[in-house]
Amino acid sequence: MTRYYRPDRCLISFALIGSLIVMMTVLALLNMAVGQLSDIGHLIQVAMDSKVIGSILLTMGAGFNVVIILLLIGTPLAYVLARVNFPGKEFVEGLVDLPVMLPHTVAGILVYILFMDRGLIGAPLSQIGLEFEDAYAGIVVAMLFVSSPYFINSVREGFEKVPVHLENVARTLGATRFQTFVRVVLPLSARHIMNGSILAWGRAIGEFAAVIMIAYYPMVISTKIYYEFTTRGIHMSSTVAFVMLIVCFAVFAFLRLITRYVGRYDDRV
Amino acid sequence: MIEFEHVSLSLGAFSLKEISLRVKEGDYYFILGPSGAGKTILLEAIAGLHRPESGRVMVRGEDVGATPPEKRRVSLVYQDYSLFPHMTVYQNVAFGLKMQKMPKPEIRKEVDAILERFGISHLRDRHPLTMSGGEQQRVALARSLVVKPEILLLDEPLSALDPLTRERFICDLRKLHEEQHLTIVQVSHSREEALALAGHIAVIIDGHLEQEGTAEDVFHRPVNPPVARFVGVENILHGRVVTNDNDLLGVDIGGLTVSCVGEIAVGEEADLYFRGSEITLAPPETAAGSARNTFSGTVVDIFPMIPLVRVRIACNGVAIYAVITSRSATDMGLVVGSEVSVIFKASSVHTTACGSDL
Repeated sequence: MTRYYRPDRCLISFALIGSLIVMMTVLALLNMAVGQLSDIGHLIQVAMDSKVIGSILLTMGAGFNVVIILLLIGTPLAYVLARVNFPGKEFVEGLVDLPVMLPHTVAGILVYILFMDRGLIGAPLSQIGLEFEDAYAGIVVAMLFVSSPYFINSVREGFEKVPVHLENVARTLGATRFQTFVRVVLPLSARHIMNGSILAWGRAIGEFAAVIMIAYYPMVISTKIYYEFTTRGIHMSSTVAFVMLIVCFAVFAFLRLITRYVGRYDDRV
Repeated sequence: MIEFEHVSLSLGAFSLKEISLRVKEGDYYFILGPSGAGKTILLEAIAGLHRPESGRVMVRGEDVGATPPEKRRVSLVYQDYSLFPHMTVYQNVAFGLKMQKMPKPEIRKEVDAILERFGISHLRDRHPLTMSGGEQQRVALARSLVVKPEILLLDEPLSALDPLTRERFICDLRKLHEEQHLTIVQVSHSREEALALAGHIAVIIDGHLEQEGTAEDVFHRPVNPPVARFVGVENILHGRVVTNDNDLLGVDIGGLTVSCVGEIAVGEEADLYFRGSEITLAPPETAAGSARNTFSGTVVDIFPMIPLVRVRIACNGVAIYAVITSRSATDMGLVVGSEVSVIFKASSVHTTACGSDL
């Protein structure tokens, strides 16, 4: 249940100071919305443009693809980090967190030289027909690299919150470690997994620098907006941006709403 | 049934050092010790959740070092019950049978039967976190027993219950042990639980096994001062044997010479233990009768512990604790500063030679 606090002077001042940040966002949104809504015809025309729609779907789809990959390979890693202490663990944790701190262009170069056609991984894979340069797969690996820490850390936190005693009891009742993981740990971490997925997805679809370095084409939405900005100017690019903004807002609000109903019992654990 | 041979194991702040013990089949075995003594990891080692760093854990004479917990037929109930919060009571209890791949109709039969037996059928579809401690306790026990374990491990199962529920549960556990002929190992820091249930007791302090024996042994014949302190012996004194007449000793404890029984040579150091409840307080200058020890002293402190009182008396500089009923304290008109005679039998005093433990 949400509790409302009777505000005191401290809370009121904090709220006023904090509102500066929110006000900035609100002002930026209003500023853009007023401009865009004053020319609805243009807005609808851009929103119906197949290239814009394609670009948005590509971005969302690639981000979703990243989340699927993270669920498959990030989840086991998160469990190991949550449950096992091993020598050099801090080093591994540092590596996991690295993409958070790197400038995006640095991340882009790292991904590019690994996956480019002459790259360590790119070269052999391009031999068997999996291209990364200017290809969908390139977008996905760039997004994967930058968004993985958000997923792994969030899921790991969820796993850490599952009491070890529950796992121990499940083991003594005849469950193997894997069965315990599937039947006890995963369901109890559902909310963190959902959260980590949303964070990682959001981070993935927001990526620009790392993506254009390996895959300028096909254009993700950031590339598309930047392209419109440099070729057709502020008017066109801000309309595309506004469309993306509305889509994002709707999708994430919807996801947050779902999250509310996922794994509710763990509130009280 | 269960044997530890020089098992050492450390886990974070807790550790076991060279523990050797033996639990017989069908025994109700208590592991007693202050909190933080490493008792829980000992249980978890029996369950196979930790591997000893050295030494061997044997079950039925077989080294189970390489057997994973799911193959050991050992059930574990934790202090916090550890019910799966995302499952209903039914699903919790059915979990173990499901893991055994028992067909669904049979699972239903077994689970319903045990819920009935534990009087918790009405909770069948509830989620654990909506239930009281006592109810969760029953579910946890039903869940651990439905898989028909050979060994049941209980980690402080009673400490979170209110006194009345606890008493009822002690009766249930006793009945369970008698009817099922289960081997039960229970960790506890409660002397009352051990007295009510234990066949054998191991006292573990600071990761060391200090004493193993029957409840009678541990509570009345502690092997050293730490065990005595833990089992609640009020008077633990240290002195030197000055006379020995056919094992009737006189021990000088610095100001008093206490008569007691033991096989310790003159000149050796000895530890003396006697319970405050063995002491009779009488008006000053009372004749001793058959009791061999009579000291006069002054009441220093009176500490009420319903329905008894603990009285601290200074006898020639030695503090002695007596436990008497509050009724007799009132009748004698005891107040701080009262002069009293402290009387106890030589045979009430348990002695150990100093440093002879372990």
